[in-house]
Parts: sequence; C-alpha cells; structure tokens
Amino acid sequence: MPINAESVEKEKKQGHRRDDSTDLALFVRTSQDDMTGWDRHRIVDALLRETYIDRDTAEKISIEVENTIQTGKVKTITGPLIREMVNAKLLEMGLESARRMHTRLGVPLYDVDNLLVQHNKENANVPHGPEATNLTLAEGIKKEYALLHVFTPDVADAHLRGDLHLHDLGFIDRPYCSGQSLEYIKKFGLNLPHALSAAKPAKHAEILLAHMVKFAAALQSHFAGAIGWDAVNLFYAPYLEELTDKQVHQLAQMLIYEFSQQAVARGGQAIFSDINIYWEVPKHFVDVPAIGPGGEYTGKTYGEYEKQAQRFAWALFEVYKEGDAQGRPFFFPKPLVHITEKLFKTEGHREFLNHICEVASVKGNTYFVFDRGETAKISECCRLSFKLEAQDIEDAKKPWKMRYSALQNVTINLPRLAYQAKGDDTMLFQLLTERIQLAAKAHEQKKKFIEKLMSMGTNGPLALLAMNHDGEAYLKLHKCSYLIGMVGLNELIKVHIGDELHQTEAAIKFGLKVIAHMNIVCNKMAEALDMKFVLEQTPAESTSFRFARLDMAHHRKDAEKVIQGNRETGEIYYSNSTLFNVGAQMSPISRVEREGLFHPLIEAGSITHLWLGEAQPDKEALANFVTNVFKHTQNDQIAFSPEFTCCLDCGKTSRGLVDNCPYCNSENVDGITRITGYFTKISSWNKGKLGELHDRYRNVNRFNN
Amino acid sequence: MTLFTKEDCKLCDQIKKQFDLEAMEVQVEVLDSNNAGALAHLAWHGQVEAARKTLPILVLDDSSSVNDFPRIESHLIDRAASFGIDYRSSNNQAGCENGSCAMQ
Ligand SMILES: [Zn+2]
Repeated sequence: MPINAESVEKEKKQGHRRDDSTDLALFVRTSQDDMTGWDRHRIVDALLRETYIDRDTAEKISIEVENTIQTGKVKTITGPLIREMVNAKLLEMGLESARRMHTRLGVPLYDVDNLLVQHNKENANVPHGPEATNLTLAEGIKKEYALLHVFTPDVADAHLRGDLHLHDLGFIDRPYCSGQSLEYIKKFGLNLPHALSAAKPAKHAEILLAHMVKFAAALQSHFAGAIGWDAVNLFYAPYLEELTDKQVHQLAQMLIYEFSQQAVARGGQAIFSDINIYWEVPKHFVDVPAIGPGGEYTGKTYGEYEKQAQRFAWALFEVYKEGDAQGRPFFFPKPLVHITEKLFKTEGHREFLNHICEVASVKGNTYFVFDRGETAKISECCRLSFKLEAQDIEDAKKPWKMRYSALQNVTINLPRLAYQAKGDDTMLFQLLTERIQLAAKAHEQKKKFIEKLMSMGTNGPLALLAMNHDGEAYLKLHKCSYLIGMVGLNELIKVHIGDELHQTEAAIKFGLKVIAHMNIVCNKMAEALDMKFVLEQTPAESTSFRFARLDMAHHRKDAEKVIQGNRETGEIYYSNSTLFNVGAQMSPISRVEREGLFHPLIEAGSITHLWLGEAQPDKEALANFVTNVFKHTQNDQIAFSPEFTCCLDCGKTSRGLVDNCPYCNSENVDGITRITGYFTKISSWNKGKLGELHDRYRNVNRFNN
Repeated sequence: MTLFTKEDCKLCDQIKKQFDLEAMEVQVEVLDSNNAGALAHLAWHGQVEAARKTLPILVLDDSSSVNDFPRIESHLIDRAASFGIDYRSSNNQAGCENGSCAMQ
C-alpha cells in the first residue's frame, strides 16, 4: 500500500506514528530457560499498531505463538524469529494484507557475510569498502520498503518480473538527479538547513570552489544520481579577472581534482558530477547582470565576461588533457561542451574545437552536446538533458532559479514485448502502451511519496531540498520530469521483424515507429496526469544485463535467438536503449547519423558512443567530424571512448586494453574505459557490460582526413 | 513526395485548398496525437526538430526537404504542371500569425 497523506493523518490520529526511529528497538532476546522479559502483549501491540486486524485475532495469534515457543525446542528467541512466527500465523489465517504490513525488512546473514567480503558490481561507481557496504545494506532495505510500501503490488510485481525496471529503489526517499546553477551559492552563500555553520557568498574563486564542492556533496546525499552544473566556466568568470593564467590553470586543476577525488562521500562513491561548458556566452545569458565576489552584482552583464569564461574553459581542458598523476583520464566531473550555432560565430572557436577534440582523442573526456537552432539545454547524468522552455529562458534572467530535477526513472523491457506480441503489430503497440501506463503509475506513486517527505519542510528528511532562499523550495517539485526509458529496441526489432537496426532500413523505420509511439503515449499521459513524462535513453548500466537474465529465465526460447553477448560465460545483455548493435561494423558517421534519427523523439537526451579502442585520431579530423555531425545530422550528443590499461605495480598508464603492462610486463593490470556514460575501471563492471565490452566495434583508422 | 501537415494549421490548410495533392501523388501525413506512423516517418527524414518550428514540410523524392512556404508552393506548382493538373494560386500573403503552424 503506498503511503499517502491520508494514511499519515490516520497514523497521527491513532497516535501510532513514530516520530523517532530510535523507538524501533528489537523485541526480546531470551532463551527457553529464561522467559523473563517475555510478554506476549508486545505481539498484540505490534499487530494493532502495524496492521488493521482486530484485537481478538491479535490476542489469539499471540497466544498461539507463545504456546509454540513454550512447547518447542527453540533455544534462542529473537525479535525477527517471533515476527516470522506471527507472519506464519497471519498467512495460515489468510490475512495476506496484514502479513505484508507486518513484514520485517532485513537481510539474510549469508548475504551480509558475502557482502562484507565481495564486491557489489551493480554500480561501477561504488568502490568496495565499509562505507560501500553500508550503502548497499541500506539500499537493500529501502528497496524492499519501496516495493512493499511505496508502490502498489502491480507496479512492484512488474519490476520484479522484469517487465520494467524502477531505478534506484534503494534511494526511494530521494529524487533521481539534479541540474543547477552556481548562481545559487554565489548569491546565497553556503547556508544549508541544520548545518553547523553558514557561509556568506564567496569573495574569491577558490572559496566559491569550496562551496561548490560542499554543496555538491550535500546534494549527492539527497539525490540518487547525477549532480549537474550549468555554464560553469561562465559563472566562474566574474571571479577570474584578477587571476593570472597560471592561477586560472590552478583553479581548473583544483576543480577537477576535487570532484574526481570525492570518493570519500556517500558510500565511498564519487559524486556523479557534470559540468556544462560553453565557448560562447549563451544567448539567454548575454544580457543577464553578472554576480561576482561577495554575491554582489558586478555592474556588467555576462556577455562582457566572454574572454574570462573562455580562459577558464581552455584551462579546464588543459587539465583534462594531462589526466591524473598516473596519466589516467579523470572519471569526474564530466565536461559537456555545448556545440551551438553561436559557437561557430565566436572568435577562436576553431582552436577551441581542436583543443577539446584533442582531449577527446587523448583522454576521451569531452562530451559534445549539440544544441541546434534555438534549442538551449543543460545536460547531465549519463545522457539526460533538460530542454529550456520559455519560462526557463525567463528564469535565466535570475540564473539561481535555474534548477531542474528528474524525480525518477522507469525503464521498459522492450524485447519482452516482442516475445509476447508474437509478431502481431497491434498487440505489440497495445502492450507497449500498457507498460508506459504502468510506468506512469509508478511515477505517480513515487511523486506522492516524495511530496509527503517534502511537505515536512525543513524539519523533514528532505530539509535541504525544502530550503527556501528565493521564495520557493530548492526542489521545484511542480517542474520535475519523470523519465521513461527503454532497453533493447534493437532486439525487439530483431524478434518482431527479423533484422537488427543496422541491417535494413525497414528495421530502422519500424524502430522509429516504436519510439514515436512511446513519445506520443508519454505526451498523452503527461496531459492526462499533469506530469512531465519524457523519454530518456536509459544508461542501463545493470538493467540491460538484468532484463537479459530474466528473459533467459522466463522466455528462453525466444530470448536465446536475440540476446547479445556470450551465453556460455553468462556475459549477456540487450543493446542499450535505441543504440544499434555495438559490434556492427558501421562507419562512425553512419552510426551517428542513423542512431541520431531517434534522438529528436527522445526529449530528455540521447547519445551515440564511438569506441576508439587504442586509436588516437588526429584532433583536426575529429573537429571536422564533430562539425559535420552538428551541421548534417539530428544527433543529440556524441562521445569518443578510448581504452587504457593501468598497471597496478608500476603505476603507468598505457593505451588500449592489454594483458601485460608494456612498461614492466606485470599482469597486475586493470582496464579503463566508458562503461555507459562515464569512465570506470573494468574490474568493477558487471558481467553484462563485460560481454558488451568484448563485442564493441572499435573505430580504428576511421577518422583521419 | 510527402507533405507533413497537422490539423488546425493555417498554412497546411492553405496548401490543401490550393492543390489536388492526391491526384498529384503527394502523400499527406497528418501529425497528430494518434499517429505514430506519421511521426516516425517525419523522424526518418530527420525533420522532427524542423516540424517543431514550422509546418507544413515537403519532402521531395530525393529525400531533401523544403520548409519555406513559398518554396513548397513552387515545388507543388511544378508538380501540378508535370501531372497536367490545375491548381489555385494563393491570393494572400502566406503567414501564420498565431504560431499554430508547428508541431507541438
Ligand atoms: Zn607496469
């Protein structure tokens, strides 16, 4: 049963609400010989408090459990054991809903034992360590809670069956991701609810950086996923006028190291951070009064800070090009460069394009985000972007107001629809509609839950998101997006019409129809429920593996014909979102162009990955390629991903994935490349992704002029 | 040749009044909230973003597209002539004052 405002009210009236979770002590822990402290009325109290059953039934159950304990040979009675015994009685009596309400959430001893020792690979950005174990354990319990108590059984079952995937269930009490502006901390300082101290607006660039990093860490503990920053180089610009080039370079270095070494935060997990960068001053910021040191207006507009902003952008990419102390690429923050019409009219753009393309070739960091025509957007997460609408452009005059969030992400298992439709178009589209409706229902339930937490304001658990420095809560709930993603379009098409997307035009055309249908149904649901449902290419780091495994278990005959990867090693997967087969031998431009046909239908963002392997293309060739993509395709975003081997013995980094370190011949090496939307060490990857890595087509000698 | 249109689009209606598109073998696609096929067709020609700015859009047999209204008209005039079919010339200056001539 999902929590709603009514049930909260009811709890309050009944006095059942626990305001302090420290009340949640265990039942008794005793032994057969020593029943002191045992009081069967505690069972009755718990049943009356937690379920809707009547007192007589509760009394009866408590007596039966007491009898079992007294006559049985149980040596040690623990709280969890009593609870299970009570649950068994509830089941016997057919009181299923009471049993659900009385469920105890927890983890089997065996699992904890494994977890403390073995590495959890669901998210490659979570390292192995005590903090990570805490995170995994807490996530496990919150996930169970979400499936039992936030979502209705039809939604929870659809997730468990693998019809769809509710992302970040372990973070049920947080929104999904967030994009914001530095202007908020520039204007209001670092003044967070319940913080031990408040800081005034920064007067110096390094202090602004300190505020940014702390705020990002605070946000990380309130969002499940990415924390993105808009136009970072531009908003730093008013602080840079007095700095020498060397100082600007140092600042860039500090920023990148601070974010890439944040592995001391939540669960030992680096903050999934994105910085948006513009070479030009975006049109919507040109006439906006700039905020500078001390949170004061400088008397100039951002249009007048173009040169300072460019200086910082240039320095950031110099740092990316160098890589870390061992020459490895920085994993975070991810730099997203916006390629716009105005960029090509801005002085120095050719040199800048060459510069960021050199970084793309040497280290791979650069993301090229294409904002064609009048489109303005901020991008974050693996590929999520928020398009700025008329009201946002109005907000741009007060950039601290520009903050966006997606509340949740639900991904649909597309190949399964094809198995179930058995070649029938009408059935396929009907099933797809039903899944989207179910995803929308899941979103409504999460929204209600977050609304409830937010309604407690700055005294509630989401105090940070409820903080109000500018007339509204930091989290603008009414503006949140609700993401609907997809996995395995390529395999759906293969099942349904017999070809993969890269094989025939008919396959692409049918693929477009599937995504167009999703787009249309999302829009209809958005209108009906007054919620912003938008399609997103799900990063699906573990979802494509999960769906593949579940379908191999439940739809084996169909699934084994189309599943990608290696079935013998279990390294199986579905193609991500609308991506073509990663192993298809297509020219890079053809892949970008054809995958790009889908992008305008996927409004919350898409990407095409070009795997480089050990190739290191010429920067000018890449710059020409990027320009070509901007001018002649519909593609939303591209990234080039080289591969590296880092030696754990000598510490040196080499190009390509090799078994032995070319410097010291050690076998003690780890690979690095992009798993989905970010770089990680390959040793942390799940099996599905390893299967994909093996299949990836590397674009070697494909770009040179 | 395909003409992408929608309901309640002044410029689309004007074109439909001027030309006998069926006789000229111009496929008319109507973009509405029940037509995934038309939207997919539009995406195949890479015209989704263009249609969000302006409609109608004419896609020629060589797959190139025309968004500019007078140019659409002149292509259709040529087409009508090659089919030997009459058409009405537009009597007023084409314009879409209320911005309804675009896909939402
Ligand atoms: Zn070595």
